[in-house]
Amino acid sequence: MSWKIKYLKKSPWVFHVNTGACNNCDIEIVDLLTPKFDVERLGIKLVGSPRHADALLVTGGVTAQAAPRLREVYRQTPKPCVVFAIGACACDKGIFTNGYHMVGPVDKIIKEIDPNAIIAYVPGCPPKPEAIISGVVKALSVI
Amino acid sequence: MNQEELNNKISEIKAKLIGYEQPLANRIYLSCEAENSYALNKFLFEEVPLRFLIATGIDSEDCFEILYHYAYDQTGCVVTLKTFIRDRENPSVESISPFLPAAEWIERELHDLLGIEIKNHPDMRRLILADDWPEGVYPLRKEAKK
Repeated sequence: MSWKIKYLKKSPWVFHVNTGACNNCDIEIVDLLTPKFDVERLGIKLVGSPRHADALLVTGGVTAQAAPRLREVYRQTPKPCVVFAIGACACDKGIFTNGYHMVGPVDKIIKEIDPNAIIAYVPGCPPKPEAIISGVVKALSVI
Repeated sequence: MNQEELNNKISEIKAKLIGYEQPLANRIYLSCEAENSYALNKFLFEEVPLRFLIATGIDSEDCFEILYHYAYDQTGCVVTLKTFIRDRENPSVESISPFLPAAEWIERELHDLLGIEIKNHPDMRRLILADDWPEGVYPLRKEAKK
């Protein structure tokens, strides 16, 4: 294991990207930071810039307007980084599969610019906060 | 003004309507052709006066419909004005935004998604489609394919 991966797993700072979600997954992510779940005690911290982040929390099947922004945010994130696709839409476009505006899902957009990207999926509509924590832990234990 | 007076007030414009339905005491459906839409909306908004809620655009195969929804809060009555746009090739309707600024955005959305030309709109920029969406492709029309 390279030292980069080792330090990535210690205390991942995350950046939240909404690429056309209905806001439900975003509320669950905010829920993670409130005192009940309080992921900051585990070292997971929400940061305000992708340049400071180790992981991206992406919600929403990607819309045509959001796709170039998601690629740009991914380019700005220091590598190695983990992309978490949070929710059914981010994993596989969910109920918006046939929407005229959908170009996603998230893994397709990310793999266009980086075929070796590390992508983790947390399905659910919306996923429970426990499920998101569990997904992060599982993803960090296998990379 | 109670409900009966509201009904009487609205029946002043019956000459310009092609349909009038009142399935419930507090629900009124009016229908008209596109050329009368501006005058009727102006009457409903300024003369009655009703509160503008929202507009709905529908592609119903042989014509386009725009439904202008209004509320009358004293009696809880909802009034819907259905406007039929018969010309499918170049659908157009007069903008109601000059006297009703709240309708600006929904008219821009109707233009984006259904391609209905809104004449005399003060600010007809793209509202909800992506910046690189091709011109002349209207996603909510019947003929639009995925």
